[in-house]
Amino acid sequence: MVNETYIPSTLEEALKIRAEVHAKPLAGGSDLMVQYRRGTGVVPVFPFPVMIISGLKELKGIKKEEDGSVVIGALTTSAEIAECEDVPYFVRKAASLMGAISLRNSATIGGNLGNASPKGDLPQPLILLDARVILESTTSKREILVDDFIKGSKKTDLRDDEIITAVRIPEVKYTYGYYRKIGTRKANAISKLSMSALLTLEDGVIKDFRVASGAAGPKIARNKDNEAKLIGKKLEDINSLTQDIVKTHDETISPHAMATWRRNTTSRMLEYFLSEVSKGGEGRIIE
Amino acid sequence: MSVTHIDDKIKRVDAIEKARGEAKYLSDLKFDSMLYSRLIRSTIARGRIEEIKVPSLPEGYYFISAKDIPENGKNALKMIADDWRCFAEGDVKYVGETIGILVGSDRGVLDKLYNEFEVKYLEEAPVISIDDAINNNVEPLCGENNVMCSLVSDKGGDINDALSKASEIIEETIETGFQEHVHLETNGAVATIEDGKYVIYASAQCPFYIRKSICGLLGLNPEDIVVKQTVTGGAFGGKEHFPDVLAGPLLVAESIIKKPIQLSFDREEDMLYSVKRHPSKVVFRTGVDSDGNILGSDIKVYYNCGAYLSSSYVVLQRGVFHANGVYNFPCTRIEGYGMATNTFPSCAFRGFGAPQTIFAIETHLNHIARKFGLDPAIYKKKYFLKKGDETVTEGHIVEDVKLPEMMEQITSASDYFRKSAEYGYGSGKGIGISFYNHGGAFTGNGEQAIIKAKLKLVKKGDKFIVLCGQTEMGQGFRTALRKIVASTLEVGMDDVIFDAPNTDMVPDSGPTAASRSTMVVGNLGYRAALLMKEKMGEENAEVEVQYEHPDGHPWDQKTFKGDAYLGYGWGAACVEVEVDKLTNEVTVKGIWTSHDIGKPIDELIVHGQVNGGVMQSLGYAAMEKMENKNGHFKQSSMSDYVIPTSMDFPKQEYFFVDNPYPWGPYGAKGMGELVFNGTDAAYVDAVERALGIDCKKIPIPVEDIEGLRK
Repeated sequence: MVNETYIPSTLEEALKIRAEVHAKPLAGGSDLMVQYRRGTGVVPVFPFPVMIISGLKELKGIKKEEDGSVVIGALTTSAEIAECEDVPYFVRKAASLMGAISLRNSATIGGNLGNASPKGDLPQPLILLDARVILESTTSKREILVDDFIKGSKKTDLRDDEIITAVRIPEVKYTYGYYRKIGTRKANAISKLSMSALLTLEDGVIKDFRVASGAAGPKIARNKDNEAKLIGKKLEDINSLTQDIVKTHDETISPHAMATWRRNTTSRMLEYFLSEVSKGGEGRIIE
Repeated sequence: MSVTHIDDKIKRVDAIEKARGEAKYLSDLKFDSMLYSRLIRSTIARGRIEEIKVPSLPEGYYFISAKDIPENGKNALKMIADDWRCFAEGDVKYVGETIGILVGSDRGVLDKLYNEFEVKYLEEAPVISIDDAINNNVEPLCGENNVMCSLVSDKGGDINDALSKASEIIEETIETGFQEHVHLETNGAVATIEDGKYVIYASAQCPFYIRKSICGLLGLNPEDIVVKQTVTGGAFGGKEHFPDVLAGPLLVAESIIKKPIQLSFDREEDMLYSVKRHPSKVVFRTGVDSDGNILGSDIKVYYNCGAYLSSSYVVLQRGVFHANGVYNFPCTRIEGYGMATNTFPSCAFRGFGAPQTIFAIETHLNHIARKFGLDPAIYKKKYFLKKGDETVTEGHIVEDVKLPEMMEQITSASDYFRKSAEYGYGSGKGIGISFYNHGGAFTGNGEQAIIKAKLKLVKKGDKFIVLCGQTEMGQGFRTALRKIVASTLEVGMDDVIFDAPNTDMVPDSGPTAASRSTMVVGNLGYRAALLMKEKMGEENAEVEVQYEHPDGHPWDQKTFKGDAYLGYGWGAACVEVEVDKLTNEVTVKGIWTSHDIGKPIDELIVHGQVNGGVMQSLGYAAMEKMENKNGHFKQSSMSDYVIPTSMDFPKQEYFFVDNPYPWGPYGAKGMGELVFNGTDAAYVDAVERALGIDCKKIPIPVEDIEGLRK
């Protein structure tokens, strides 16, 4: 039993503690406090040193950069993300559907990535958008794709001297977008399955097509080779390629529980998205 | 203070203190030098205890187990039978069975000690499901065939004769799962000694049950123990007998330690280690002629009772007596079997055995109607029970049955017939309908033979004090009873005092269960108030009334023949849904219900009960999945055992029919359970129609619907 707790007041101090004792950052606490609870009337005990970083101003807030990308500080809460118009639709939507209001007011984007739960709400749209996570230590600062950062269920590439400081979402232009989360109920819900997709059309030619599935395997499923099948094609080509793309996406996901439903639903949603897109018309979010 | 009238809409007397968080619940109570406790429980479903390795206990910490029960005591909790042991001894019969209670002052230390406990078992093959129990492939848990209790009910001649004349026999099995109560306040109790007497404070429905159940542990009489009900944050039947399982070990510990001891479950414990609704399996063999007319139905009802009987036999009886729903078939035979398994004992849950069989018969009839191309509402209507009709216990329906009027209310309000025809099967849209009832109060002559409820009304100056054992658990009874008494006395609500019961201060008016409080005890309050009206001139006065059985309700408890209930509440429900064919997500577009509860005692309370009961029933059908693997419940939190929010079933329109009950106060009869009993079937009917599927098992979350789609 370890009960070592630190409360740094600056990022610099936090990085130093992280480097020296590898204390695990606790932000909103909505994962760690639950995971290590001990019952009524007693506080959690963590088997590792912990630092409460929720006071670090450097890690809060959302900024739009000149290149059109949006940088979200690691301590920004889901509620703040859901309300910010600079944040792309897919991420805002996912943030707005995460758990209960009280959770959205405390859970942070950094925590959601660091926890790396396959059911986590934010990694799925972030991976769709090729978002990058910014990791800092006393000696280094690196930026890697969220898709590379999350290595599997509850596994990340975070080094024991690093802290997640921000997430950068590049500007992604799209003509058609799609986001669905199927929760355990209509509100206050954990994700049973989620999927987002986008398709970009320029002068009648498909420039970009992406699809990402959440809660359908140990990590968010994207298959760039599969997505590339539509690049350079036209809307009228979609129908003949749909079956192949749906099949390959199905092979990309690897659900364990509720496998039949998760597979069939994912295929039906993707098929629906492609079928709606193939009809053309104004750019829009497909409901 | 103005006089309260029975037709006034009353703000709940406990609303403000609860909404403000001022009410003191069990775990808010602090006593001088109070100790805390944790139960040490079995981690296997079935086996011999080889060794209990108790960690080294610091001073002031105790481990109390079966060995601590005194010689003149018996290791049993007396519910209806006394088979449920306070502490497992020698063997364990289910995961979560109490082996001992760990007591001490610091909950952190208790947690550490708890994790150091080691119990060695010699595991035996468990019986988990109803099918395991029926198949009887391992050493039976009870008798030769795992049947813990059984009964038969029939009417209308020999069922085999009836079935032999049928042009077709429709065989179908309908199943329902476990359901967890999820009362907002978890289970908790405190044991202490006050003025030389053992006192149990408990979040509980039935204080008198507790003292009866636990007194034998120390060789005492019920009167030697005082039980005080604390503010109870929901129960739904989960605090009917189950508080005994907390109070028993606490009492034994108290007899040794003699300091106040609190035992309070956290949510995970409350989910994993508490009683549940009985899972059921109902097997129908229904004979029909070539037009689909029913000649007779042969029904077998199986309930999973778990390892101990608790209230299961009575639950099973209610299940059997409701198994033909609100219908009068020419011939019916129902066999009921309570199966013993190595799961946590099943016990009371709103509806008490009726919801399972009502869901089964409703769904079965929908399937027959569909097979013959008939609208289920029209098909069912021709079998509606009427006044004077014979019941499955060869008793009679003594009241006017208003089902046709109720059906008219909900079908017009919902535009059922247009939608039913227009949506058809498989369009993604569906509307479903169900009919149900609930026998009020205790089964048969239980009120007369077993309970013999008493209530006292005391006048002190211009205040009137109601003394009885009924509890407020969130259902609104404290408000309802004060209102009944005040409006009968023609005084204001504030002049009537009715507090949480203390078994030393109030007469036993029976349990707060079985939808009997308003109907039976409310009527005692009414009668007491009438008598008191004669004494309004006196400064101090007291009247006591006792339950009187209405004439003309014959009942034989040995043969289960006669009037099984003193009267029924009746219900009808329509549910409209849209199902997303991509994801199987169901959106409820409308809910319409009509209930015959005699007369509503208070519109606001009744509204709350309808809303809550309907939501709980829809949750039962739609999403509340509690699985059991090798005796372990798989769902342990409110994020994996999902109950509905107002977003799931947002819109309800509700109706009542006026049908005053002659033996209830102001014509009221039971309603708390009725409102749970039928919306589930209407929901499933609607989902079946929307997707063109057949559902024979609930709940049906999205992943289960997938398995039903072709």
